Amino acid sequence: MWRVARAILLSVVLVSTAACGAGAGGEPGGLRIGAIPDQDPQQLQRMYGVVSDYLHDRLGVQVEYVPVRDYAAAVAQFERGDLDLVFFGGLTGVQARKRVPGAAPVAQRDVDAQFRSVFVANPAAGVEPFTEVGDLARLKGHSFTFGSDTSTSGRLMPQYFLDRAGVSLDDFTGEPGYSGSHDATLKLVESGAYQVGVLSASVWEKRVQEGKVDPTTVREVFRTPTYHDYHWLARPDLDQRLGQGFTDLARDALLSCDGSDDREKQVLDLFAAGGFVAAAAEDYAQIEAVAGQLGLLR
Amino acid sequence: MTLTAKALDERVGCLPPSAVPNEPPRRAGGGTNRRRWWLLACVAAVVASALPVVLDDHPVIRVDGLRQLVEFFAAAVAPRVDGGFLALVGASAMTTLAYAVLGTAVSLVIGVVGGVLTSQVWWRADAPARRTRDVVGWSLARVALVVPRGIHEVIWGLGLLIVLGRSPVVAVLAIGIPFGAVTAKVFSELLDEADRAPHDALLAAGARRSSAVLYGLVPSALGDLLSYAFYRLECAIRSATILGLVGTGGLGTELLDSFRALVYHEMWTLLYALILLSALADGWSSLVRTRLSGSRSRRRGSVDGRDPVVAGSVLLAAALVVASVWWVRLDPSVLWSDRSARQASMLAGQVWPLVMVDGGLAELLRLAGVTLAMSVLAMAIAFAVAAVLAVPAAALPQLDRVTASRARRLPVLLAARLTMIVLRAVPPPVWALLALFAFYPGILPGAVALGIYTAGVLGRLMTEVVDNLEGRPLRALSALGASRRQLVWYGVLPAAAPRFAAYSLYRWEVTVRETVVVGVVGAGGLGVLLHHQLNSFHFAQAATIVLTIVLLTLGVDFVSAAVRRSIR
Repeated sequence: MWRVARAILLSVVLVSTAACGAGAGGEPGGLRIGAIPDQDPQQLQRMYGVVSDYLHDRLGVQVEYVPVRDYAAAVAQFERGDLDLVFFGGLTGVQARKRVPGAAPVAQRDVDAQFRSVFVANPAAGVEPFTEVGDLARLKGHSFTFGSDTSTSGRLMPQYFLDRAGVSLDDFTGEPGYSGSHDATLKLVESGAYQVGVLSASVWEKRVQEGKVDPTTVREVFRTPTYHDYHWLARPDLDQRLGQGFTDLARDALLSCDGSDDREKQVLDLFAAGGFVAAAAEDYAQIEAVAGQLGLLR
Repeated sequence: MTLTAKALDERVGCLPPSAVPNEPPRRAGGGTNRRRWWLLACVAAVVASALPVVLDDHPVIRVDGLRQLVEFFAAAVAPRVDGGFLALVGASAMTTLAYAVLGTAVSLVIGVVGGVLTSQVWWRADAPARRTRDVVGWSLARVALVVPRGIHEVIWGLGLLIVLGRSPVVAVLAIGIPFGAVTAKVFSELLDEADRAPHDALLAAGARRSSAVLYGLVPSALGDLLSYAFYRLECAIRSATILGLVGTGGLGTELLDSFRALVYHEMWTLLYALILLSALADGWSSLVRTRLSGSRSRRRGSVDGRDPVVAGSVLLAAALVVASVWWVRLDPSVLWSDRSARQASMLAGQVWPLVMVDGGLAELLRLAGVTLAMSVLAMAIAFAVAAVLAVPAAALPQLDRVTASRARRLPVLLAARLTMIVLRAVPPPVWALLALFAFYPGILPGAVALGIYTAGVLGRLMTEVVDNLEGRPLRALSALGASRRQLVWYGVLPAAAPRFAAYSLYRWEVTVRETVVVGVVGAGGLGVLLHHQLNSFHFAQAATIVLTIVLLTLGVDFVSAAVRRSIR
């Protein structure tokens, strides 16, 4: 028994030391990009594979896409310095800037200035479609679910518009749900578990297009006004790590992606955008205010 | 009490056996009376927890949601089996297994060191001439292990992820630390109950305290520790899966991806892989544990290292540890990197001082009440389901002669065991979404999700209880011509019921912690608020909630120990 135990200990120690030796290479010299897990990870892998190649060619550095499985984890890893350039959602981007002073919005998609959320309802709930924000008050007394609790389109902005219509979370039947994803919200409303739910307009439109939405079980009742959502955020130490002016180079690389060759077309297709435009911190002032109000910023 | 008798109680496994429900029953009238009161209290607690559900103005079950349930289970017959996906599932299964193996290995190291340091014999806290210093040291060491045990693996995972970043070390430690704390408790109890003669002899011969414990006590407790480690491996696989849901990789992470997009046929492939992995781990651990307890009852004392199954398993486990280090590319250097140190001090600075949740103490207590009610309902469901499954799942080896009827019963036995494996292989968050299809949002779907998951765990323990029952009364009943049904009602259930109850009470504590992973059900409670606070980086409030859960767990442990004492 003791001989076996000794052999185990020895081999564990040996392998661990070997692993340490291999891992002690120090900081990688490349650019690590990331994204919040707002869609199918295989799709994300495709998107960011193409973007990595594009940025590698334009910037002349190694570019690695690091997949992240959780919204808050994306912020935490950006803060820790494990991610240099991240395509954040509106709320996560504001949270990341708050936690990493000096982090700068680099660019956003042309479509990011016109984001919307869609409130959907189970027909049995008897909610008729409406167009005014104030009419969100009609949702009082129904059961309601958000998506992921740090989603801009699935939680933050919907709660802001509800608030503007004078609806507080206590006005719903029971406690509001946090389904965890846009698709789960859709399914829970379809099943009737919650009478009303809210999700990103772009996901909703995609599911309608794909024919995955059965109009007898779920329908759109309200579309919010537009707001700013996603944006690329760079760490403040990017220049220090990868060379003076690197952040500007990265910005230029993104902004000049206008679909003028096949790969740029591919990038824009995958991002469902016509191009990237400059982003400024002010664009997200509204989100910041709402997030602060809801206690989502520390 | 002997080590062998103790072995059964360690199998409680995922929870610390803080009291030993294995002493001869007391026959005093006071005991019976107290038992009645406790039974009444249990019923009252379940009724009080169920009250808000029953009083709601809608029916309990939602018929129109059943379509979604059917849709989910229909996908079971058509899992995704294309080559590329299967390769991904295979690789993820290896990752999950690697985390489980490494987590168990770390927990053993922590368990042995912590076990020695928290044993009474090390501090000589039970010696007649004990010194205050030793009693204080022993008490402090015990308290130091309470906190890591009271925090769910997922919370460990989230915290370590912030400090260590994306590294396999996160998953290994998130399993290893809480499991290690539990193992330490079990090991310290084993040490304290081990035969002291060699230890005392070494001390008398002038050996130092450490040598005396190391050479005089540890070897005799190692066999039981090994048995326990194999039991925990299966628990670790489930923990590694749930950890995957926070993004550490492996089957849980893949399951999360398919779960977010609700791609049922992919989920089923992953669930089958999980079920297979659990079943293999379960089979292996039962085999090793049967051999270990067999060899121990033949020759008292340390493990028989020459048993080929045990020796082979230990070697295989060692090989698995080495292979796992290689497979996940475990690089512990992240533990002492500057970046981790910076993150750790940042986190510590933001956790302390603790901040009371919005709404104050009243709100905190309300949420704790919701969590408690959910756990009580969950345990009631788990107890009922597990008890119903355990009786057909038991092989009843006590009745050696009725082999013909056992062969006939084999399909039933296997079906019952498979059902329990499925119940515990599906992670609670998946059960939670399914429960939401069938029930209205609130504590009921959460309780159902946790209840049927826990039933899978409890059922396994209860099956072992039935299989380890004293054989003579059963054989006597059988010889008198009792039918199988009469045997169950008059022989098995009365003898097994107190231990069924004891195990359920043990597991209650774990269920309280597990309420944090079923946030989707819209029941509120501490878990949902904890997620909100973590997602908004309000670590000071999050820590308050974690502390509340630890205290709640301690309270539950205290109550359950009291009840267990009275039903013995």
